[in-house]
Amino acid sequence: MEGFLADHKSHLGLVSLEVPLISNLPVWSNIALIRQYHENMPWEEAKTLALDLLRRFGVAATAEKRNPSLTAEERFCIMLIRAAMVRDAVVVLDRPFRIFPDLPDGRFFMDSLRKVDDLIAEAHFFDYNWEKERYGATDDAEN
Amino acid sequence: MGAMITTIENIGKAFLSKILPLRGTLQFATRVFLNIFDRRTYNSASRMVFIHQFYFTSVQILPLFLFVAVIFGSLINGMAFQVVKNLGLSDYLGRLLMGFVVTELSPFVTVLLIALRSSSAINSEIAVMKVSRELNTLESFRIDLIHYLFIPRILNGMLSMVLLTSLFALVVLSIGLLVSSLVFGTSVDAYIDTLLHSADVLDIVILLIKCAAFGFFITLIPIRLGLNASQELTSIPVAVLNGMVKVFLAIVTIEALSSILRFI
Repeated sequence: MEGFLADHKSHLGLVSLEVPLISNLPVWSNIALIRQYHENMPWEEAKTLALDLLRRFGVAATAEKRNPSLTAEERFCIMLIRAAMVRDAVVVLDRPFRIFPDLPDGRFFMDSLRKVDDLIAEAHFFDYNWEKERYGATDDAEN
Repeated sequence: MGAMITTIENIGKAFLSKILPLRGTLQFATRVFLNIFDRRTYNSASRMVFIHQFYFTSVQILPLFLFVAVIFGSLINGMAFQVVKNLGLSDYLGRLLMGFVVTELSPFVTVLLIALRSSSAINSEIAVMKVSRELNTLESFRIDLIHYLFIPRILNGMLSMVLLTSLFALVVLSIGLLVSSLVFGTSVDAYIDTLLHSADVLDIVILLIKCAAFGFFITLIPIRLGLNASQELTSIPVAVLNGMVKVFLAIVTIEALSSILRFI
């Protein structure tokens, strides 16, 4: 996985518990930050974009909340939106069941990815081999 | 002979243990200082951090700051005018106000207030971000920590120091005007004239440089020491404690250097 991340560093949008949301920023700012920093997008425009994406996921009410007050589902959606804010994003979902552990299978992740399909170039899952059934995978590949 | 060598080695080790972190801090300061002139620092995200930091440091503190300025101003002016009147040194009143109150007392009280409030907050904020892996988040999204986190805080520290020191001096001098008109019956014009004649351009330049240096180091040192936190929660108070001690040492050092510059 490290090699893959290094190869796609310039377009990497990582969704992982290892890269948590910034806790002293509200949700919208966590999302807007990527475009504000890399593209110098004015904050009003970046905020509007972030709010539009939050609405797509039905979590617009979390816009002013901070990381500790989010549910696992909200946290996953916001991490995914943040990853999708990277231009031509190569989204990597690193053990997403650690972020949202109560799910029986990976359909929620696939549905979520479809909602940002227009923003991302690629999406990759990395998870333990024993989780493959939850993704409906049939081969023995580890990722 | 062996004991002497051991003693010398121990002295050397103790010296190096003090010098090496200082060298690291100075290298870090140089890196940050050079990045201030990098155009990539001034993006929309960094500007927003700067505005928030300026609000926390310079606006939220205003009620407390003005209260302290009025209390200090009343005490200092009361004492100064009493001494000047009793000793018949009214000709030196301007020098006393400009040379002591404006150039020495104002930056010192300001830097203490900002260090107590903002430096400790910055130190713990950076340490918490390190422990909770939020710094990893920024790096993983290719957000440069120096551009996004550090420089807005440091520039804010420098600007806030200059502005709040000016405000403190203004409040104290205004109280001086009030006391002067009550004790000596001085008019506004005469008071301002006295102050202007006592003002030395070199002193003002040194004052501004001192304020900027205070602002730079009382924000840079907490950042540097905050970064020294490990992944353990218990490392946060240690990082804050070390940071605040070093901030105090930096204040004393800058104060001593500026005095040397002024009086040699």
